[in-house]
Amino acid sequence: MFWHNYKYALKALCKNRMLVFWTTIFPFILAILFNLAFARLHDYDVFEPFNVAVVNDEAYQNEKVFSEAFKTLGEGDEKLFNIEYTDKDRAEELLENGDVDGYVYVVDGKKKVKIKENGTNQTVLTMTTEQISQSAKIIDDIAMSEIAKSAGQPVDVVAIYQNAVKVVTEAEPNVKDESHVMNVVSVEFYSLIAMACMQGAMLSCEMMNRCMPNITNRGKRVAIAPTRKGIIVASNLLAGYTMLFVSIIALIFFTRFILGVEYGDNIPFICLLAAIGGLTATMLGMFLSVILKTRESLKNVIIVVVTMLGSLFAGMFGAMKMFFDEMIPIANKISPVGLITDGFYSLYYYEDMTRFYINVISLVVISILLFVFSIRSLRRQRYDSI
Amino acid sequence: MKNVIDVKHLTKSYKSNKAVDDLSFAVKEGEILGLLGPNGSGKSTTMNCILSLLKFEAGEIKIFGKEMAPDAYDIKTKVGVVFQDVAVFDELTVYENIDYFCGLYVEDKATRAQYVEDALKLVGLEENKSQYPKQLSGGLLRRLNIACGIAHKPKLIFLDEPTVAVDPQSRNNILEGIKKLREDGATVVYTTHYMEEVEILCDRVIILDHGKIIASGTNDELKALAKIEEKVTIEIPDLAPEKLAGFDKIKNVSEVEYDNGILKIVYRKGKNNLIDMMEYLKENMIQYNKIFSERPTLNDVFLELTGKELRD
Repeated sequence: MFWHNYKYALKALCKNRMLVFWTTIFPFILAILFNLAFARLHDYDVFEPFNVAVVNDEAYQNEKVFSEAFKTLGEGDEKLFNIEYTDKDRAEELLENGDVDGYVYVVDGKKKVKIKENGTNQTVLTMTTEQISQSAKIIDDIAMSEIAKSAGQPVDVVAIYQNAVKVVTEAEPNVKDESHVMNVVSVEFYSLIAMACMQGAMLSCEMMNRCMPNITNRGKRVAIAPTRKGIIVASNLLAGYTMLFVSIIALIFFTRFILGVEYGDNIPFICLLAAIGGLTATMLGMFLSVILKTRESLKNVIIVVVTMLGSLFAGMFGAMKMFFDEMIPIANKISPVGLITDGFYSLYYYEDMTRFYINVISLVVISILLFVFSIRSLRRQRYDSI
Repeated sequence: MKNVIDVKHLTKSYKSNKAVDDLSFAVKEGEILGLLGPNGSGKSTTMNCILSLLKFEAGEIKIFGKEMAPDAYDIKTKVGVVFQDVAVFDELTVYENIDYFCGLYVEDKATRAQYVEDALKLVGLEENKSQYPKQLSGGLLRRLNIACGIAHKPKLIFLDEPTVAVDPQSRNNILEGIKKLREDGATVVYTTHYMEEVEILCDRVIILDHGKIIASGTNDELKALAKIEEKVTIEIPDLAPEKLAGFDKIKNVSEVEYDNGILKIVYRKGKNNLIDMMEYLKENMIQYNKIFSERPTLNDVFLELTGKELRD
């Protein structure tokens, strides 16, 4: 019975054009678009430094790690930017006149970029600022953690910071080194893989709807069949997960071997995290499908909103991760999207795999909890209305 | 004959609206029971409660002598349901849909293959088995819906308005199929608001309104409840008002209506109604063309009992 249902669930799923597009084809399209967008980063012959301004006020100078790191991008033969340090009014004027492609400034400790139009230079400036900002935050975190470990003993703060910078810069090769540029690109593809994992929520919601009599007519038919609900649910979810897993693995190999994205030695870990992340997303979709007592279309919208919000918190759409880490620290600690992206970031930033495995284990635990809760809710269920 | 279904004091509400109100009835083995009532009368709710899909406040439901529950798998094995709305996978072919749903009941592949072929034959979809649901007409889609519900050869079949919005050919095919299922030994519960289908198909009828049974019995027993004996329609191209008034005076006539050359007369219960009317026509030398006589329908019964039409 399990394999009978699995076979047809998978068959129906593979022929569902809408789902196949959003879960399988769409991430591939994004991967190709990313690749086109970042193509210039690979080509150093055509990559010329461009003009940017920096609002060199007190707020900027207070961000020592960030400002030092940014400064290096305007130095040397292979510099990324021609940096002009100035005040805000002048920076605004330069931007208005088209003399710079954007300017960087700091407000309340937050690093911001102002651009006038969209283009490759603007993307590079925004991405690089975000990258340095994240690195600076990590350096701060590492240093603070070392200071905390001293338990009141006198510490050499400068030495600790220097060591933290060393740790990060060793994990993150010199910014002008080609491999680093590749890594910057890799991080964007990590986000893409994480997003592809989250499509599992949509898939599993669809698969759950098929066995819920209060949502679909097919669900009614399945509910009156003499087959245990657990078998139907498990085989449906496995079908959805099979499709998701194949799509994600295909995406990873497509980006690595067709688009040439450099993941270093991380591919097995990326595959592992993607597999676990996809499983968690699948369980999340199941859980939401069970607890949301509403019609199918609204349920799908809610699931998209939840996963997109999770993605936003997790920084998949820009530099929001740090902002939400500060505003709602718990969000990314329990959010599956947050854990998936953090797992990928930890692959990028840390030699030590502890943080990666903590994320993996957290995802497994969350998956189990979501599954158990959902199954308990589904057992012997009768409805108020269908 | 033993009871296949026993429903006692079933009560189900949607918030403050009582959809099923202290309903009790039984379905005997091998019969076709019609649940007749207008939209919103509680037919589908009753069926969904019996199938353990819906919670209910009070009552007891037994199928094949056992209490029905969501995990009563031994009962479910013997039950087939055709829901009002089409419930198939658009991504699977006709054959695959039937095979999939049949496979939830029948594990043996060879048996299942035979059952699927039988179902295709029963609903007349043999030539469409490779098509996808979207390629089927509304009527054929309804037939597929039925095939998916009965392919596993259940002993008890629920059909919830299976002929809604189908063409006459498909309707005939569906009704013939249901008769065939009964001939093969199945007990059928047929919910509908089409009284004609009930009259053709059902051995016994329960008429529901506002979740309550307002009448039950065989077709003849129910029609006996009607105060009218028959309805006569006569084509009279030209009828003078004083002669029209005379029809009211004929014995047992309860209503007379003349419009556009058509005279309609409703008779109360009584004998020799037609003979009296023919004599009146002859005596008054009234020229007429055709005469039709109709027995009261279940709609007339419903109208008398509730004051409204079944299709209201």
